[in-house]
Amino acid sequence: MQKTWLVAALSAVVGATFLAPGLAPGAMAQEKKLTLLTWNLPIYEEKFRGWIADFKELHPDFEVEWLDKKGTEWATFYQTQLIAGTAPDIIDVQGMLWAEYAAADGLVDLTPYLDKEPDVRDRFNKEGMTLWQYDGRQYMLPYYFSKSLMIYNKNLFEAAGLDGPPDSLEAILEDGRKIAATDEGRSGFITLNFDWLYWPLFAMNGVELLNEDMTEAAFNTPEMLDTLTKLAEATSAGVVNNIAWTGRWVEPNNAFATGDIGMYQAHGAALFWIAGNAEWVNQDTLGVAAWPGGWGVPNAHGLGISASTKYPDEAFDFLKIATSDKWQTVMADTFTILTLNEKVDEALIAGLDDPLKAETLRLSLANMDKATGNWVTPKDAAIKEAFWPEIQAALLGQKSPQEAIDAAESKVNRALRRR
Amino acid sequence: MATEALSARDAARPRRRLFRRQRHREAAFVWCLLLPALAIFLLYRLIPLGWNFLLSFQFWEPTKPAEFAGLYHYEEMFVYDDVFWQALGNTFVYMAMAPISIVAALVLALLVDSRIRGRGVYRTIIFLSYPLMAVAVGVIWRWLYDGKVGLFNYILRSAGLIDAPIAFLETFATAMPAVIVAAIWQIVGFFMIILLTGLQSIPQHLYEAASIDGASRFRQFWRITLPLLRPSLFLCFVIGIIASFTSFDLIYVMTNGGPGHATELLITYIYKVAFTLTQFDYAGALTVVMFLLFLGVALLGNLLAGGEAGKVDITE
Repeated sequence: MQKTWLVAALSAVVGATFLAPGLAPGAMAQEKKLTLLTWNLPIYEEKFRGWIADFKELHPDFEVEWLDKKGTEWATFYQTQLIAGTAPDIIDVQGMLWAEYAAADGLVDLTPYLDKEPDVRDRFNKEGMTLWQYDGRQYMLPYYFSKSLMIYNKNLFEAAGLDGPPDSLEAILEDGRKIAATDEGRSGFITLNFDWLYWPLFAMNGVELLNEDMTEAAFNTPEMLDTLTKLAEATSAGVVNNIAWTGRWVEPNNAFATGDIGMYQAHGAALFWIAGNAEWVNQDTLGVAAWPGGWGVPNAHGLGISASTKYPDEAFDFLKIATSDKWQTVMADTFTILTLNEKVDEALIAGLDDPLKAETLRLSLANMDKATGNWVTPKDAAIKEAFWPEIQAALLGQKSPQEAIDAAESKVNRALRRR
Repeated sequence: MATEALSARDAARPRRRLFRRQRHREAAFVWCLLLPALAIFLLYRLIPLGWNFLLSFQFWEPTKPAEFAGLYHYEEMFVYDDVFWQALGNTFVYMAMAPISIVAALVLALLVDSRIRGRGVYRTIIFLSYPLMAVAVGVIWRWLYDGKVGLFNYILRSAGLIDAPIAFLETFATAMPAVIVAAIWQIVGFFMIILLTGLQSIPQHLYEAASIDGASRFRQFWRITLPLLRPSLFLCFVIGIIASFTSFDLIYVMTNGGPGHATELLITYIYKVAFTLTQFDYAGALTVVMFLLFLGVALLGNLLAGGEAGKVDITE
């Protein structure tokens, strides 16, 4: 009898354990707390603790919890928390993911806060701020920023008898051919392909992805066909390295770091990664230039506030601390990265004693009006998913370019029409 | 006499009441033991399944109230979404992993069951791949297939069979077979152990009798080994089918469904739709279809097993 009830009680406890997570938030609801979710920056922990310490000086009654997730896990984590009603209050988001949340009323509109405190708005690069505006409202503040550029291997340029970086797609492919011909295993060109980073190849030839009001695909044009055909032929001939269309981040960086590829379309972060991993890299062997026509894809992180927060005012205070001159100087110096805080960026570039790095950052801030691949639409991920696999198939010779463009057009339009 | 009968009834009454109470107590005891498992099953299986089903008929976003969608998502899936059809086709192709693994495992099991030196070592080596995490298997095989530093390309180039490296995982034609090979490598050791156990439970005297009757080794294998291995083979088949439906991690690590959607399985596609495209409602509809397919395959398997797969014999 006693044994039976002992087992029964234990079982009930075990059973109740599974229900406990649902009961816990209610019990802890009294605590004044903000949660900060960052994007793959565990090595910056000490500085995040600094943000939190500064915030607690301002709001001693608050606790701040810091969470960090890898890029591949970030969206999954945030979305599940959003559904559970426990979304982190302050978020660091990469790319256009924020637009999806903004369109679904998931983010706090920061415009009234910035109107009230114009000095906060004035910290930032004006064109840079537009990267996080949707429907005329500001949803995020800039955290860090880079833009795609032309990185080139001067050794291979010299071996191929080339003077400097090319200025058109035809010249890129022609120079690439010459470089590939210099030795077996060499190729002329490679690009990053995630988050629309390949788009300057099309933008420079007058291809538009969507119509002006972003309701329909606009890329089924002779220019698109011509560009895609040229790129597919160059890939098949080995002028463009296959990894351009199949790798993500590490693979193309590694490929270029071997020193066997002439040109790389990538942003500053890739260049610094290569410089840190390839012994042959220095200012005499590696060059950086603006992409022909000044086109470039921004790769930016912004800081925003989840609409579900109970403390939007305090969360905005937190954003002010995080994007302050003090902390953005630390960010810029730690990673040699732009923050779009104008004062901080100017000081960073002026203080760099490495001309290659300084030039990379200067070029990243230039031609902000030619930023491309950053369509502010909540359908960005769906469009990307509809467009890229078809174009990739053509680039890798699996489909004819026209067939791929037609299929991509139909899929993109379907994605745009879907609820 | 009558008094004796009465007292016997009186004596029996409390015993019967006690028996009844004991049965109740036993039932309560059994239910208490079942409670944790039932709680898990309810919370993590039945409720999510029901929720998925509801979700598939709604327009739903994390921050907005749901709206009735009718069959919108199913129409999208069956009429417009060719990635769904491709992922479904790929899932069936990937299922080919099960029979191939079973044949390979049977060959290995027969080899390590024969009287060869060091068979224990061989068994261990073959089984070693199974306890590895799928993510580790994916990473190992990505390196093996790598164009620059991969073992396969090195061997093929050293043997003079190819001039340029083969991008196994980046080429549409080779990506799926390459992933299937990795999946087979991982599971073959486990199947081998199951089949080996089956082989060792076959009575030796059957082979002796067959030998006396003049049956060849092949005939013995065909007439004795295979029929008696049927339950083990069926078990392997079911496990293989389940693995092919749920093989998310290996694909995610090795190809993430690419190039294009060449290695996209239903399970990886559902993940992308939910967590990359934030279309939980559509992912719900895809999940319902996958569940029904899974159910169909399980029922078919049960039918092939004589309709009693999973039956527990509780008679003593």
